[in-house]
Amino acid sequence: MKHADRILPARAGFTTADGLDVEVARRGRVPLVSIRLVMQPGTAADPPARPGLVDFTVKLMRRGTRLLDADALNEAVEFVGASLGVYAAEDFVALAVTTPAEHLGEMLDVLGQMVREPTFPPDEFDTEQARTLAQFSNDVDDPGLLADRALQRAIWGSHPYGHDVAGNRVSVEALRREDVVALHRDVFGPRISRLVLVGDVDVHAARPFVERAFAGWRDGPARPVVPPRLSQAAGEGRVVVVDRPNQTQAQVRLGSLAYCRGEPATFAAQVMNAALGGGFTSRLVREVRVKRGLSYGVGSSFETMRAGGSFSVSSFTKVKTTKLLLDVILGEVARMRERGPTKAELEKAQEYLAGLFPLRVETNEAVASAIADLWLYSLGEDWVDDYRVRIRGVTRADAALAASTFCFPRPPAVVLVGPAEALARAAEALGEVTVMSATELT
Amino acid sequence: MPALFRVHEATLRNGLRVRVVPSTEAPVVSLYTFFGVGSRNERPGLTGISHLFEHMMFNGAAKYGANQFDEVLESHGGRSNAYTTHDQTVYYEEFAADALEQVLDLESDRMGSLAISDGMLEREREVVKEERRLRVDNEVMGLIDEELQALVYQAHPYRWPVIGWMGDIEAIQRADCEAYFRTYYAPGNAVLWIAGDVDPEATVRKVRRAYGSIPRGPAIPAVVNAEPTQRGERRSVLSHPAQAPGLLVAYRGPSVTHPDALTLDVLEFILAVGEGSRLNRRLVYEEKVAVDVGMDWSWRLDPGVLLFHAELAPDGDPALVEAALYREIARISEEGITERELTKAKNNLRAHLMRELTTSSGRAHALGNYESYLGSWRAGLRLPERYAAVEASSVRAAAARYLRPSQRSVVTLFPEASA
Repeated sequence: MKHADRILPARAGFTTADGLDVEVARRGRVPLVSIRLVMQPGTAADPPARPGLVDFTVKLMRRGTRLLDADALNEAVEFVGASLGVYAAEDFVALAVTTPAEHLGEMLDVLGQMVREPTFPPDEFDTEQARTLAQFSNDVDDPGLLADRALQRAIWGSHPYGHDVAGNRVSVEALRREDVVALHRDVFGPRISRLVLVGDVDVHAARPFVERAFAGWRDGPARPVVPPRLSQAAGEGRVVVVDRPNQTQAQVRLGSLAYCRGEPATFAAQVMNAALGGGFTSRLVREVRVKRGLSYGVGSSFETMRAGGSFSVSSFTKVKTTKLLLDVILGEVARMRERGPTKAELEKAQEYLAGLFPLRVETNEAVASAIADLWLYSLGEDWVDDYRVRIRGVTRADAALAASTFCFPRPPAVVLVGPAEALARAAEALGEVTVMSATELT
Repeated sequence: MPALFRVHEATLRNGLRVRVVPSTEAPVVSLYTFFGVGSRNERPGLTGISHLFEHMMFNGAAKYGANQFDEVLESHGGRSNAYTTHDQTVYYEEFAADALEQVLDLESDRMGSLAISDGMLEREREVVKEERRLRVDNEVMGLIDEELQALVYQAHPYRWPVIGWMGDIEAIQRADCEAYFRTYYAPGNAVLWIAGDVDPEATVRKVRRAYGSIPRGPAIPAVVNAEPTQRGERRSVLSHPAQAPGLLVAYRGPSVTHPDALTLDVLEFILAVGEGSRLNRRLVYEEKVAVDVGMDWSWRLDPGVLLFHAELAPDGDPALVEAALYREIARISEEGITERELTKAKNNLRAHLMRELTTSSGRAHALGNYESYLGSWRAGLRLPERYAAVEASSVRAAAARYLRPSQRSVVTLFPEASA
């Protein structure tokens, strides 16, 4: 093989004088750098009465700092052709910038300002609150989003992973600027954060920029808050119907608990899932779309986080074929659970996952994210580089065990979005049916 | 920019154009096939056939039977997909480098001898109807956009949606598909872009072996642009179950080959790209009349549209959004833009070009698009120079020329009382 087996580029690291760990990886020929600052905790650390606070706080960080008001901050980033994104997830928040290499120092200064000295101006707080509330209202018109949100709630219930990252209408309406200021002061800090730079960047050249940008950001929590494990899905064996009377198409979701990020079960589970509902030739796509024309899209997937994970199947169909779609999906999941993938399916899934893996870490942004994840989830140095070997090492027995463990050995939580009466009938055999209005999910 | 990679070109005797962009960053290859056909080549009664046909291309040919395309590809560590626009249909595969010959065999098989059965057509028809229900019938913005395009265009095929009208999707026959395939899916109407870990000369030889015997195909019927002059603002008001009012405003623009097209790329950045753009600052953060605002100016082979969209709060007033939008547009056509805004737009357009050329797949896709729209990929690589030559005065002049009230089409949607 003429290419090295290594997928991640070589990394160099240092810790700033104030305690922020930094990793730098030079790669590619294009004069761009991807900067990713990952901070713990994520939205699972929202105070129980304030779901949405973490997401709201990081969004507001870009709306004003001691040295830069929102317009000046946007101008600093956008004038040079850079872009800034702010993301919140259950286990972390990320501030990401892609910049022309010659502006690396200025962009690090902007990030440093955002985390060290955000001012959370009261008028910006009010605007963001009004926008978020309007967004919740408009979410009612997005059936796929409603279905995802209802499933998250059905699986996790009142667990910290059970609420939407943005919270809900009631919680956001109750937010006060003091909540944001206190959260920023108390929960973030360099000791539970990491900065990753990937692209046209040299560690020695970058170091003084990083030291300058984050000088004075020190101390803070030594360890992130980790949510408890959950042993049983909250809505196991029950059906939730979200009523949207005018829809001509039903959104369908089925889900249960699965494994945590980084568990050894990952590889067998991924191979099994590729055969069941991952790729375009998977059983679910073949039975639902190719053979029966029931839907444009169907798939199954695992979502993994630090303290837990889920397995779910997602699709949609015209209202009157909802029951048929549910029957086909549950039949295929059961068949996989009982017998696992065939030898041919196993081999195809392995080639598929291993062959495409290099494409998942092709851009600077994806590499930065992969490097941050190694640290965030303690995945081990070889997690990325050995991925293909470990995928190819999965046996039929491993995949069958994954199938019997994760393919709904207990009845899944079921979510349907569309006209309630017809959908409740379609799913009545699957468990006790609860009908809710779409606004209850926002 | 061109120093970062080289493009090797060849044209087969049957007219198939082949472009190879080698690189050794990763042991993967991206193959794009651009067909010069989209919904602009359709006619009433057959709207949506380009997109429905895109689905049919995965359903078997002479050598590889039904559903074998993805089966073979995935077992070689690859994946495929496709999309259809108003102007073209694009198929792509990404796969491990050692599967190149296999993938060329698959692609040339379906270009040379696609099989179309009634059963396949019926199933794909149902799949496409679900896609339409997803993207249009149960999606508020999809509904508004469909109404708007039919308002902007009276005669040109851009009038109908790429996915087609539901009645037409239901009526398309197998014979229509076969005629469509013979006309538009021939080598003379296609360009192959292959980027990644390949040897250029060997690759062209492999392409010649796989595709060389496919007949060139007929001349492509010209698309007539009979669009009449617009003589005043057009409006449509919709009523539909929704949480908030909706608003789309469109102006007629030039075709991609018109010199103003690139000036409008600059204008788009200044007006609506980024948090600090004029419309975002004014409508969302200062006047707070919209929750979100955006603009879409996309290159088209025939005269296109400059489209503005706004997301409103449930108690929002589309009339206030319209008024604020028109004030911002007037500021540009009357007072022009600053040199700093112009430089910022150019910096962003250059960075955007760099970003899309960082991966093999990005290079094949971007350069293929440039060839489709600008006539050559070299013209795409000259874009930074051409953007650099755009002056502030020409941006102001373009705003005044295209963003005129008489050239406007407006759709507002008001929530139905029962919602």
